[in-house]
Amino acid sequence: MDFEWPDQPEEFNEFERELKQAMERRPAPPGLKRGIMQKRSARSTERHHTTMIWWQRLAASLLIAGVIAGGFGWRQMEERRRGEEAKQQVLTALRITNQVLNNMNRKLVEHDRSDNGK
Amino acid sequence: MAQKWQPDFEKLVDEHQSMVFSLAWRMTGDRGLAEEVAQDVFLELDRHMARIESPEHALNWLRRVAVSRSADALRRRRVRGVDLWVEIEEKHGSPSEERQSPLETRLEQLLSTLPEAQRAALVLRYQEDMTPEEIAVTVEAPLATVKSNLHRGLKLLRAKATTNLKEYIRGL
Repeated sequence: MDFEWPDQPEEFNEFERELKQAMERRPAPPGLKRGIMQKRSARSTERHHTTMIWWQRLAASLLIAGVIAGGFGWRQMEERRRGEEAKQQVLTALRITNQVLNNMNRKLVEHDRSDNGK
Repeated sequence: MAQKWQPDFEKLVDEHQSMVFSLAWRMTGDRGLAEEVAQDVFLELDRHMARIESPEHALNWLRRVAVSRSADALRRRRVRGVDLWVEIEEKHGSPSEERQSPLETRLEQLLSTLPEAQRAALVLRYQEDMTPEEIAVTVEAPLATVKSNLHRGLKLLRAKATTNLKEYIRGL
């Protein structure tokens, strides 16, 4: 697969051949593969650890969100219950007032009648 | 229907570690940095394994990422202000390089002084035996640019070799 240049003299090709010979692949250092595999394994552990942390964070966030939502819901229910209780108390008070007023009215009517009879 | 190819990471490392390491070394001119780059490239491959469709795809992906990560590593180094060429001189002259022939060592030294794009084109061309069309796809550059980089790089390297390596190369 010689790469010929159209205007290239013969000695140029000779130089290319020398260059090709001089630039053969070199053997990789003996520790290269071991280093790669170690880093890969360390990174995989780190990635696993990071994933775990993210899951823990997510779980904690969901728990906190659940607690907050639960608390908010409970507070709303409690407020509604108290409102209902207050409403019942007001209604009871109104009923009592109504009864008292009716009694008073009846007594006044009776009193008027007895006054007119005399 | 043909069964989908299942990449085996360890096997890919075995098959291509020499290629990735050599590309990174020739691109950076620094053995230690090349080892770091090669590790990063394979770890990135691990992250992209689901998207690798075939052995050829893996090979091309590794070549492309090795060249690009090597260039990034060099740029980072330049930003940090390290005098790379002084380091290269020291590293190439170290005793661990003695197994290499003097010609290879000197050629690589000269190669590391070329502009980045020319160096990438020459390494892919002469180490990986790739055609200009394949290089253009790998470095994501127009074919004309790749051809120009190859031609200029080769010319420049030859000119440098003429003054430095006359005693080693017959074609000079």
